[in-house]
Amino acid sequence: MTVTAAAGGPPDTREAAIVVRDLSKTFGDFVAVDHLSFEVTPGRITGFLGPNGAGKTTTLRMLLGLVRPSGGTGLIDGVTYAELPRPLETVGAALEATNFHPGRSGRDHLRVLAATHGIPDSRVDELLALVGIPAAARKRAGGYSMGMRQRLGLAAALLGDPHVLILDEPANGLDPEGIRWLRGFLRHLASEGKTILISSHLLTEVEQTVDDVVIIANGQLVRQGTIDELHGETTALVRTSNSRGLIDALRAAGLEAGDEPAQGPGAVRVVTGDLVRVGDIALGAGVPVHELRVLRTDLERLYFQLTESPENRNRNLTDGALPAGPPTGAPPPPSPGPGSDAPEGSDR
Amino acid sequence: MSNLIRSELRKYFTTRMWWGMALAMFLVGALFAAFTGYFTLYGEMPVGEAMIKVSDAIPELTLVRMIYSGGIQFAYMLALVIGVLSMGQEFRHKTISNTFLAGPRRHQVIFAKVASLVVVLVVNAVAHILGALVGGGILLATAGRSLLPDVGGLGQTFALMALILVVWGLIGLGLGVLISNQVAALFVGIAFALIVEPLVGFALTFFEGWDVLAKFFPSQATTATLSLYSGVDPGLAEAMGGGGDQLTWWGGALTLLAYAAVMTLIGLVLTRRKDIA
Repeated sequence: MTVTAAAGGPPDTREAAIVVRDLSKTFGDFVAVDHLSFEVTPGRITGFLGPNGAGKTTTLRMLLGLVRPSGGTGLIDGVTYAELPRPLETVGAALEATNFHPGRSGRDHLRVLAATHGIPDSRVDELLALVGIPAAARKRAGGYSMGMRQRLGLAAALLGDPHVLILDEPANGLDPEGIRWLRGFLRHLASEGKTILISSHLLTEVEQTVDDVVIIANGQLVRQGTIDELHGETTALVRTSNSRGLIDALRAAGLEAGDEPAQGPGAVRVVTGDLVRVGDIALGAGVPVHELRVLRTDLERLYFQLTESPENRNRNLTDGALPAGPPTGAPPPPSPGPGSDAPEGSDR
Repeated sequence: MSNLIRSELRKYFTTRMWWGMALAMFLVGALFAAFTGYFTLYGEMPVGEAMIKVSDAIPELTLVRMIYSGGIQFAYMLALVIGVLSMGQEFRHKTISNTFLAGPRRHQVIFAKVASLVVVLVVNAVAHILGALVGGGILLATAGRSLLPDVGGLGQTFALMALILVVWGLIGLGLGVLISNQVAALFVGIAFALIVEPLVGFALTFFEGWDVLAKFFPSQATTATLSLYSGVDPGLAEAMGGGGDQLTWWGGALTLLAYAAVMTLIGLVLTRRKDIA
């Protein structure tokens, strides 16, 4: 069940940077996190996804030693957070964008944190310049915009030059320009070999940024793998007036093909990205082609299907009654390959 | 550990409120010393049948001590507020997450908070005593009295005033951990010291044998620590609000330290287990 089993990616010989094993947390009789296990591969950006209330923040807070697990462990570099001798130099975390005293300047906020590890003020100023708020950080944090708070949070996470970053919803409240900046910034950090775990409730927000995904719903693992695995194999859509003839011809050529009623009348789905070949086969068979294009998986739709299937429906939105038979303790096994359960849907 | 203490000290000195607090301590010291000075130097009190001049009935050291510590009751309420806020602000603004991320071994953070709070309270105590020297000094000088009749004795008083402020601050810190809503913590702390304690103390006087407990209450122990009424006629002391059976100064100081130790311990235990959500 490791993300390392990535098709395409080089086999990783290093140990996972973050290991979550059987982690659980109950608040009263509410199960926030339910026997969750996953690993985060070093040097990659992993998206930690799930709807609001899925248990993402609780999981991250357990990993960071802020919340006491009811069961299981979360390890970073093989030890719990509290066992790290100089935690800020191993792990940088940005949790909520509201974690500032409104009367203290952003720079002083960082200086307070820096003091705990004997980090000099010059490093604070260096980071403020890196996240692009050197002047504003001398004003009191109460007046900061959401974007500035997120940037200040990132600067705080980077203070000790950690090699693992844990970011809880860093894109929350950012405008499109801010999200673009964040994407570039995270890519830059990843290129330095940092391991990044970034949570989000919106897949589209991180889709272009992450290498791997861990999807949870109702505190349980729903799926994990590389983003490419989630996309599935590339498929093509062909529209024709003779779908039977076309399917036969494609199958005769050794391609997997079938009707795709979801795409309207006469739509045929072929598992290949080679549009030229599909066109040639159709021509050879004398079948008219009205439309021919690559059909990409709509990840967002897949995400909703994964997180809103009956047993994963958001418990916070139901009338308190949990669905009858969620497979407790046994999260659905992730299907690594381009599974038949990965629904190909609308075009994009 | 010293890094954590430095971080905690930076927390105080990077917000305006703490400077305002020191200023308030100074002003409280000055105003109450001046007020007490006016009352004790020029006031008259009925003792039995006769009206006597207060300043004639009180030994000089006790009189001056009374003047300089005139604002202590208000000041230790402020110290309580400082203690509550030093923890409460962290919960209120959720900076406690960052604090524990930088210091995941939480007992160390609490010790650092205790150490830095002691420093901050000593600074505030100095501000308060300076204020008292200014406010009380002006009144003593205009009355033609000596400002420091017994330097050693007054030095002890000032040290004990600082101790009282430190101890009440630590009680506040424990309270701030115990009740993470700082407004509720402040309300409970001040209501206890100003309302509940006197009421319970009064109620205890109706129960034979139980009334000895009252002198161990924090406010009573504080008054005892300063020996405010030593050498004063019991009737006059009672008329001035300080009557009754009191602990010795060191008994009062030890009682207060015990309160601070218990509250800090409670804070330590609770903080280690707390989920920071």
